Amino acid sequence: MNRPVQGEQNYFLGVLYRAFRRKGAQTGLVLIGIVLLAAVFAPFIANSHPLLISEEGRVYSPLLRFLTPLDVSLVLIFFVTVPLFFLHIRIRSKFLIFIAATVLILVGSYVFISPPQLTVYEQYREKTAANAYQWVVLAPIPYSPKDYQRDRGDTGLVAPLAAVQGTHWLGTDVNGADVLSRMIHASRIALGIGFVATGIAMIIGVIVGGLMGYFSGVVDMVGMRLVEVFEAIPTLFLLLTFVAFFGRSLYIMMIIIGITGWSGYARYIRAEFLKLRQQDFVKAAVACGLPLYSVLFRHILPNGIAPILVAASFGVASAILAEATLSFLGLGLVDDPSWGQMLNQAVHSSTFNWWMAVFPGGAIFLTVLAYNLIGEAVRDAVDPFLN
Amino acid sequence: MLLEISDLKTHIHAQDGTVKAVNGADLSLRKGETVCLVGESGSGKSMLALSVIRLLPRDICSHPSGRIQFQWHHDGNTESVDLLSLTEEKMLEIRGARIAMIFQEPMTSLNPVFTVGEQIIEALLLHQPDITYAQAEAYAVDVLEQVQMPNAAQRMHEYPHRLSGGQRQRVMIAMALICKPDLLIADEPTTALDVTVQAEILKLMKSLQATHGTSILFITHDFGVAAKMADRIAVMYKGEIIEAGETRQIINNPQEPYTRRLIASLPENLPPVVNVINTGADKVAVNDKQFKAPLLKLDNVQVYFPVKRGLLKKTVDHIKAVDGVNLEIYRGEIVALVGESGCGKSTLGNAILRLIEATAGRIHFDGRDITHLSRARLQQFRRQMQIVFQDPVSSLNPRLTIATMLTEPMAVHAIGASREQRIEMAAELLSAVGLQADHLSRYPHEFSGGQRQRIGIARALALNPQFIVCDEVTSALDVSVQAEILQLLLQLREERQLTLLFISHNISVIEYISDRTAVMYRGKLVEMGETEKVCREAEHEYTRKLLDAVPRVSSAV
Repeated sequence: MNRPVQGEQNYFLGVLYRAFRRKGAQTGLVLIGIVLLAAVFAPFIANSHPLLISEEGRVYSPLLRFLTPLDVSLVLIFFVTVPLFFLHIRIRSKFLIFIAATVLILVGSYVFISPPQLTVYEQYREKTAANAYQWVVLAPIPYSPKDYQRDRGDTGLVAPLAAVQGTHWLGTDVNGADVLSRMIHASRIALGIGFVATGIAMIIGVIVGGLMGYFSGVVDMVGMRLVEVFEAIPTLFLLLTFVAFFGRSLYIMMIIIGITGWSGYARYIRAEFLKLRQQDFVKAAVACGLPLYSVLFRHILPNGIAPILVAASFGVASAILAEATLSFLGLGLVDDPSWGQMLNQAVHSSTFNWWMAVFPGGAIFLTVLAYNLIGEAVRDAVDPFLN
Repeated sequence: MLLEISDLKTHIHAQDGTVKAVNGADLSLRKGETVCLVGESGSGKSMLALSVIRLLPRDICSHPSGRIQFQWHHDGNTESVDLLSLTEEKMLEIRGARIAMIFQEPMTSLNPVFTVGEQIIEALLLHQPDITYAQAEAYAVDVLEQVQMPNAAQRMHEYPHRLSGGQRQRVMIAMALICKPDLLIADEPTTALDVTVQAEILKLMKSLQATHGTSILFITHDFGVAAKMADRIAVMYKGEIIEAGETRQIINNPQEPYTRRLIASLPENLPPVVNVINTGADKVAVNDKQFKAPLLKLDNVQVYFPVKRGLLKKTVDHIKAVDGVNLEIYRGEIVALVGESGCGKSTLGNAILRLIEATAGRIHFDGRDITHLSRARLQQFRRQMQIVFQDPVSSLNPRLTIATMLTEPMAVHAIGASREQRIEMAAELLSAVGLQADHLSRYPHEFSGGQRQRIGIARALALNPQFIVCDEVTSALDVSVQAEILQLLLQLREERQLTLLFISHNISVIEYISDRTAVMYRGKLVEMGETEKVCREAEHEYTRKLLDAVPRVSSAV
């Protein structure tokens, strides 16, 4: 009691440090890092548009010309975030800079960037065949996810490395598109739906749970009934209904997974707030006359956020699975690549197309595993009995 | 000699280095004798006890040197064994049968899923396998009667949660004594108990020792308890026993400077220098009473907590935590509120600051009724009334720096023009409570318990209040740190003309610091008056019982 306790500077950083000291969490982090890089740089890794073309003495890059605003935003945000991570400033200012940069980049990209409406992938192959270019630099995987290669005949499903024209490392799908390319582009959906849906769920859960825990009494009782109502909603069937009525939209999916998934977070936060509001430092904050938002979000929340981190990493995994399930059932996105939709193709065929099952299935498995590994490591790091 | 510890070293291997918990301790214990091991927290006294009974986890603890020679009576013979080199099988025969232990926390040291009887009988049957269950049961009832447990035969079949803290400690003693051990190690057995219960338990232990002839190694941080219990006292400091001797000699004529400092830090021995000035101020305060209105006036304040039962949460009863308290506190005085745990004194402190809403009654501060003021209108009073808490760990937000903690309330109350100015004021506050300005950028975990308590005081002072509730501010602190904090409070009172409501269960602290004392018992004030008068000529029966129970160092002299 009379000796200062030596410890980490910051509880939050301490938890992360302890979590990522574990082998499991490191493996998970590497896997997610790979998926993240694939998602951010997808158009540069897999694209039918050549990186650089020299045609009639003119050097230009069709790939850059055809980048969508989203592609540009993701890359820019990535290059803002990475140095920000290593900058020595407070976490809160880092977070604010990140939010501001993201908004700016998104608005800017959508205002200033307008790629050509019409894309004809065949033109490059035809011109290459006709020797129209002096030289061409292709992307590492020279196929776009929606490049169905109709110029090469109705190829359909082709096993890995079996195609005569062009080598498809992981084969092609029903429509003749390259599987590897589609998988790389699909990682965007997997990550996006995981983060956005979990983010929505966390925000609602923290606000509702915090109010329930702090005020208790009537607020708590009404809140808990609300939680029970939302826990009774079967997410998958609600998603099916919405898809049937409002068409297939990724954003609707994210929102529905988010607003049906917050009840767990609310329960965690409620329990933490119930415990923490009795703590002396919270009483002292009230006695000093601090405003309610400061008591709730400055004095209580940072001390009770740890269990949420654990739930969130499992939540991301289950959101990815929900999207995959929906796509597998054929109710996901129509044309955009998604791992679940590719799995669907594996069974909707007279023959068993193993490459359509193994590769996307493996990707889903590894991503979900990675999040579970991280979730478990964070849970152990938060548990005071294991430290 | 029953037990002879020589040059004992106990090292604990942690991730970031080795802690020398016990560092060359020598101690001996005769048959039928009580030795009190006295020391401040972290001095290694519990580690020494756990080394003797070998309860330390072996994979992280080692004994680089030392012998613990114990006279082992078994099968009619006496064998002198070194406990450190004994095999685990032999140790099992000694542990519980020849050496027993009582722990500090009675709430957690009994297993909640077994009845009291089952737990006592288990230990007995383990060490005396040849007796029948019925015999063991009869014997257990007998031991429970010896520890003066009312309705012993019925209590046998009850689960621990139905017993009070004092009763649980009696059960622990019964469990420890059932095999008639030669040595009983008691690790702070009364620290978690109220002072009247403590007095009963100490009396019980003494009488049991007289009948059984057990030797007791009694660990405590409280010199008063040691003076009452011990034949000899050993003082422990930084893993070493720096001084040992007859109780009277240690208390009256300590040789080592550390022991002297420790005894001088006891509230009854603290220099009354500041107090002399205070008495002058008191007289003024007392005389002014007729002319001045009280700063704080409580008028029949009640705080009831509803007891709800059943499906519809119907209120069936109330716990009357505070049951009609009338109290007036005048400017510049220190009023002590004394009582045992659960008497409602902390609830009253919280209710005054409106941290808990009063069920009925009126709270007047500076002539204004603040009982039902809205949040916004209460704001100006929040500035003037503050609180300091008991637990130095939970009273500071672990996620904020000291600077943020001190300046945020200032900003809310528009004290100081700019952030820089507020930081400057915070630095001044820290130096006022005896810390350095460069501590501002640190986090709470970087400070010791006493320093944290100073920060808690600085936070209370940040708004420059007139009135501060001190809720058991020194209870979690070592006696030397307690002395520093008490003197700091008195000094701040002088400098800032503070009015304090000092809540405590410790009579000697109250005698030292307060001008007037209010005694609280079961939610009611039973006695109120000048501290000296209350402590000398108590009128109420409960006050007299409370005062009698206080273990005093002077009792040994």
